[in-house]
Amino acid sequence: MSTSRKATTPSLPLKKARNWLVDLLTDWVKTQFVFSLLILLIAAAIPIFVRSPYYLGIVVLTLIYALVGISWNIVAGIAGQFLIGHIFFFGIGAFATMSLLNAYYLSPWLGIPAGVLISIVVGIGVAYLASRYGLKLDYFALFTIALVVVAAILLSQIDFLGGTSGLYILFQGNSVRAMTFVQKEPYLYIALFLTIGAVVAQYRLFNSRMGRYFMAMREDEDAAAALGVNISQYKMFAVAIAAGLAGLGGGLWAVYVTFIDSFGVFNLAFDVELCLVGPIIGGLGTLLGPLIGSVINKPAVELIRGAAGSLHTGLREIFYGGFLILFMLFLPEGITGLLYKPYRTLRKWLQNRYQDED
Amino acid sequence: MSDAVFQVGVKAFINLMNIMGLETFIQVIVNGLLMGGIYALISAGLTLIYGVMYVFNFAHGEFLMMGMFLAYWGYILFDISPFLALPGVFTLIFLFGALIQAGLIHPVLKTKPLRQILLLLGVSTLLTGLASFFFGTEPRTLDFPLLYKNLGTGFLVLNLPRTVAFGASIFIALALFFFLKYSKAGKAIRACSQSRDAARLMGINVRRVYSLTFGLGVGITAIAGTLLATFYPITPTVGETFAITAFAVVALGTMGNFIGALIGGLIIGVAEALGGFYISAVTQGVVAMSIFILILLFKPEGLFTKKNI
Repeated sequence: MSTSRKATTPSLPLKKARNWLVDLLTDWVKTQFVFSLLILLIAAAIPIFVRSPYYLGIVVLTLIYALVGISWNIVAGIAGQFLIGHIFFFGIGAFATMSLLNAYYLSPWLGIPAGVLISIVVGIGVAYLASRYGLKLDYFALFTIALVVVAAILLSQIDFLGGTSGLYILFQGNSVRAMTFVQKEPYLYIALFLTIGAVVAQYRLFNSRMGRYFMAMREDEDAAAALGVNISQYKMFAVAIAAGLAGLGGGLWAVYVTFIDSFGVFNLAFDVELCLVGPIIGGLGTLLGPLIGSVINKPAVELIRGAAGSLHTGLREIFYGGFLILFMLFLPEGITGLLYKPYRTLRKWLQNRYQDED
Repeated sequence: MSDAVFQVGVKAFINLMNIMGLETFIQVIVNGLLMGGIYALISAGLTLIYGVMYVFNFAHGEFLMMGMFLAYWGYILFDISPFLALPGVFTLIFLFGALIQAGLIHPVLKTKPLRQILLLLGVSTLLTGLASFFFGTEPRTLDFPLLYKNLGTGFLVLNLPRTVAFGASIFIALALFFFLKYSKAGKAIRACSQSRDAARLMGINVRRVYSLTFGLGVGITAIAGTLLATFYPITPTVGETFAITAFAVVALGTMGNFIGALIGGLIIGVAEALGGFYISAVTQGVVAMSIFILILLFKPEGLFTKKNI
């Protein structure tokens, strides 16, 4: 029996609504999901209040960073695979979209899905090789880094893929077919739509059998295998899902920035900035983490750059490196982990107050 | 009979070599070996750290870069020859590495490996950022009077700084080998590499040994950087290229195998030189990576199969 003061009993529909809310808020994953949607709702409302293309551009990039962050969070945070060179899949999506557009004038509306498909196939190939030859932990991390380096050099030698000069989109004003827009709003809503999709997918993953298998695999691969998880198959799933989402982000990013080159994309510093920092700041392996992380990561750096006129060379790396070190040393659970403690107090209070009635 | 066959074989080989250009071939091999010496020294540091601490030093290249910059500024500001600066550079980077081990790596040593990898990636990013913040990103070269001097004439030309760097690298690698084999501290390091817990029970201060190991590993890498600075352009991101080559070398020569790293370094150096000369200059960068990927896939335990510090 709880001794806390009971709330006065309201009318029936109100009580139902209240119970629904309490149920929602006493589930940590659901709470994070609701928060994610709130953040995205705010992002959707920003164009109503802000007209400056500069700030809207930051929002677009933040959403793309969130999308890619979520993809890395799935493979590294939830499934525990050391896919450090995640930019590899992002780059595949970007280069597939751009080269199809340049060579065959294939609209990005088809080019981006094609890039996603290629990323997934390559991802399955990478995961297959890794599990076929037993590459784990550090070795897998090194393998993916080597892929990034090789891709940068090889792509710079293939003219079809831009060679050393890179690939451009000829800007054609507002053209739905070529996915080029004068305003930032269309980009923003496309990115928002895809990011919402990724957040929902990640939420579904958390409560699905596959997600539980991923987490079991992350905690202890041998134990998971002993309990009947097909490790190589689920590794393949994890890498394929993450590769597809990263390819999606890559295609969209390429269309948005309109210029890509192999050494600029397949670049380990860019890898750290785009894929790793966001989820780590926000909380690796949590639902909300990658979103919060990219909301902090991209706007913070851009606003500092805007305020200072230009960012001094190397300052960006100093920020990112410092963030990585500080979070890994003192806050490995990230900001979401930090939020968990006050949330637990809230949950206890809610449970005491409302859930004892049943 | 067999003697005659042998003679024919030798003649055929010499003819073949003459067609391919024996002199060029040997020259390319020698150039590869000279670069391989540097790779060997860098990789020896990497493999030492991995073999003892089971930490893959993702920030390894940045210590090389720091060694290069120390050599550069020592020469520009104080007019100290890079070769004379070697002990100073080693001491500085040794202390810096020991500090990083004690302050950053040790607290996460017993946690999830992903945390260690990301921490070291952070160290790597931070050091690159600091270097480009203070020194800019344009390549610098050490205008060293020895730079364009060559040894030998005609048949075999040896670039003097490269030759000196090779000799010094091999000397230091061997010195480290004997240090590990016979000195008391070296024996403690090897004991920790064999079994951390047993070493602790024998009264070895594991924490101090780890600091010593990390300091030594990055210290000799900084020496390699100083030697490299005499003939290679210095940029804040130079470490990345060499670190990734060193990863390939260490994978080839078995992670944690000291002799393997030395031999692997020479192999990768020669393979790169051959690929760069006989196929195309672009392949030079891809050769090491291709060997790396193939080794990881088909023989991830490396050539020597057992770790041996």
